[in-house]
Amino acid sequence: MADYVLEVKNVDKVYGQGDTEVYALRNLSFSVKRGEFMLIVGSSGSGKSTLLNMIGLLDRPTRGKVIIDGIDTSELNDNELSTFRNSKLGFIFQFSNLLSDLTVLENVTLPRKIQGTIQNSADEAKTLLKTVGLENQMHKFGNQISGGQAQRVAITRALIAKPAIVLADEPTGNLDSVSAETTVQLLKSLNRKLYQTFIIVTHDRHQFGEVDKVVTIKDGRILKEEMEANLV
Amino acid sequence: MDYRAQIGIRFITRRRGSLIAASLAVAIAILVVQVNSVIFQGLYDAIVRDQINYRFGHVYITRQEDFITKSDFMLVNWLERIPYVQAAAPRIDSAASINATIGGKIIRDYSVPVIGVDPVLDREASTMYQTVAPGGQYVSYRDSVVVGAIVDRDLGYPQVGDTIKLKFKDQFGQDILRRLTIVGITATAGSVGLDNSVIMNIDTLREILDRPHQTQSILVKLSDPTKDTDVKDLFLAAFPSNADKFKAQTIEESAEQTLSGFRSGIALINLVGYFGMMSSAFAVVTIQMMQVTSKTRDIGVMRAIGAKRKDVLLVFIFQGMVIGAIGAGLGTVMGVTYTAYAKETHMTFQGSLPLEVKYNWTSIMQTDIMAFVLAVIASIYPAYKATRLEPVEAMRVG
Ligand SMILES: Nc1ncnc2c1ncn2[C@@H]1O[C@H](COP(=O)(O)OP(=O)(O)OP(=O)(O)O)[C@@H](O)[C@H]1O
Ligand SMILES: [Mg+2]
Repeated sequence: MADYVLEVKNVDKVYGQGDTEVYALRNLSFSVKRGEFMLIVGSSGSGKSTLLNMIGLLDRPTRGKVIIDGIDTSELNDNELSTFRNSKLGFIFQFSNLLSDLTVLENVTLPRKIQGTIQNSADEAKTLLKTVGLENQMHKFGNQISGGQAQRVAITRALIAKPAIVLADEPTGNLDSVSAETTVQLLKSLNRKLYQTFIIVTHDRHQFGEVDKVVTIKDGRILKEEMEANLV
Repeated sequence: MDYRAQIGIRFITRRRGSLIAASLAVAIAILVVQVNSVIFQGLYDAIVRDQINYRFGHVYITRQEDFITKSDFMLVNWLERIPYVQAAAPRIDSAASINATIGGKIIRDYSVPVIGVDPVLDREASTMYQTVAPGGQYVSYRDSVVVGAIVDRDLGYPQVGDTIKLKFKDQFGQDILRRLTIVGITATAGSVGLDNSVIMNIDTLREILDRPHQTQSILVKLSDPTKDTDVKDLFLAAFPSNADKFKAQTIEESAEQTLSGFRSGIALINLVGYFGMMSSAFAVVTIQMMQVTSKTRDIGVMRAIGAKRKDVLLVFIFQGMVIGAIGAGLGTVMGVTYTAYAKETHMTFQGSLPLEVKYNWTSIMQTDIMAFVLAVIASIYPAYKATRLEPVEAMRVG
């Protein structure tokens, strides 16, 4: 029904109170279409992670709305937000994403277990792990694989519940250049194949080459919003 | 398996240090309760056992404020027809005085309790005869006496074959002197028997006291001790007349004076056990809090990918259940091992009184369940703390 899979409307995020008040985001608005591959860029401290937390429903905006799939998330309670995150969103974090006490396979199927749709989840997880070249690491524990491998596992976990939006905060920030390149190519190919929306925070937009949209943040505001046509 | 159970179990079992510390705390609390139970319940039961064997039998029959005048032969026969009754024996408690030499000083009128027993029936209803030191025998012929070890010491260690002179008062207040021959010396562990008394033939005592055919008490030994109230009730129903004025007591009632003090002592000791349990619960709280802190990121990740607060709560409750179960298992093994050790080595209290060691499975189960439940309860606060963590924790750097 919605043209946009994501609408961010007049979002403020204020940390602290009184003298220590910090506006991490200030009156920020933009929209994202289904299937778009979008980057959020900006200098350190500009508010990228804060914005991603708002979109990912990990934290609530001080003011304004985040609308996902036509649903105003500001009206959801804590449990509904959990369910929403589980079914609509997939997360890839910068640092150790995996539960070290679960195996790779268990980590990947966890969103489905939470969802209560365990049927076929192991098979689907195996197929996805094959796609990212980790079919031989499935039974290792989360802390027994390399950072690059963990990042690829996190990608498959983000996809297993077929979310509308996949969010990643500097997914390559922790990786060497070869692993980073592999990860970028993987994300882009998955975006083309699955037609899911990808929103990625990065320091290095050039690493990603051609994308649908780039939003540049500065001091919590949108400095620039570039569409595919204008991108080089 | 439920994913919350799986994660809870993994969290704790893959942190061996925390698991060992927490379950040991639980196990040691159980062990403390078990050791207390072996020693103090064992002591209590030992005292009950000795009171039954030496003094009261399982059921103790007396007559209110007076001697029993009904034929003891008839009463014993009547009692022995009850299927649960193994034996019954009449006794008379009296007192006498002796001229004794204590610490080189001659003490006139050293007063001792005197127990009159039936030489044949008493061997059936009481194990008193087994306490006679080697070289002696139990009361047999009319003028024989068995002297308690304490009395023997106070009299300057007379031997078997020696005679002692006892001064009685009959029921009319007349002094009666009797010379009796020592046939044995009785000594019991912990002096819980008749070590401070003199035991003699009941018929001789009846004659001295001028109470022919009278009896003061009847000890009833049961083949099935659980039937004591039944036997008591049967007896009182059969001899209800006001003239008889019989009194029948179970061991709990007859030994009440001796036992009540012990009971409150045991209650106090149990309190120590419960304090142990409480401190183990605090140990579980501390270790669980550490677990929650070290798993902050994992909890954030779980929340980010859709776990609800309730799910996080369950993870740590399951963790508490693992601690409780392993702790209870370990504690039971340790406690039962100790009990077995106490039983095998015939553990004694203060080196003399042999403890009555039993495997009390009901109490072991109760302790286990309590320890388990406490471990789970102790996990509630840390688990609740975990649920207060926000999903943004997953994004935290490092
Ligand atoms: N929990 C917080 N409490 C107070 N201030 C915060 C908090 N989180 C972020 N900030 C502040 O908000 C601003 C934006 O932070 P944010 O983490 O979003 O930046 P960023 O663009 O992700 O930076 P980087 O590229 O270094 O990751 C910064 O000024 C930061 O100090
Ligand atoms: Mg950031």
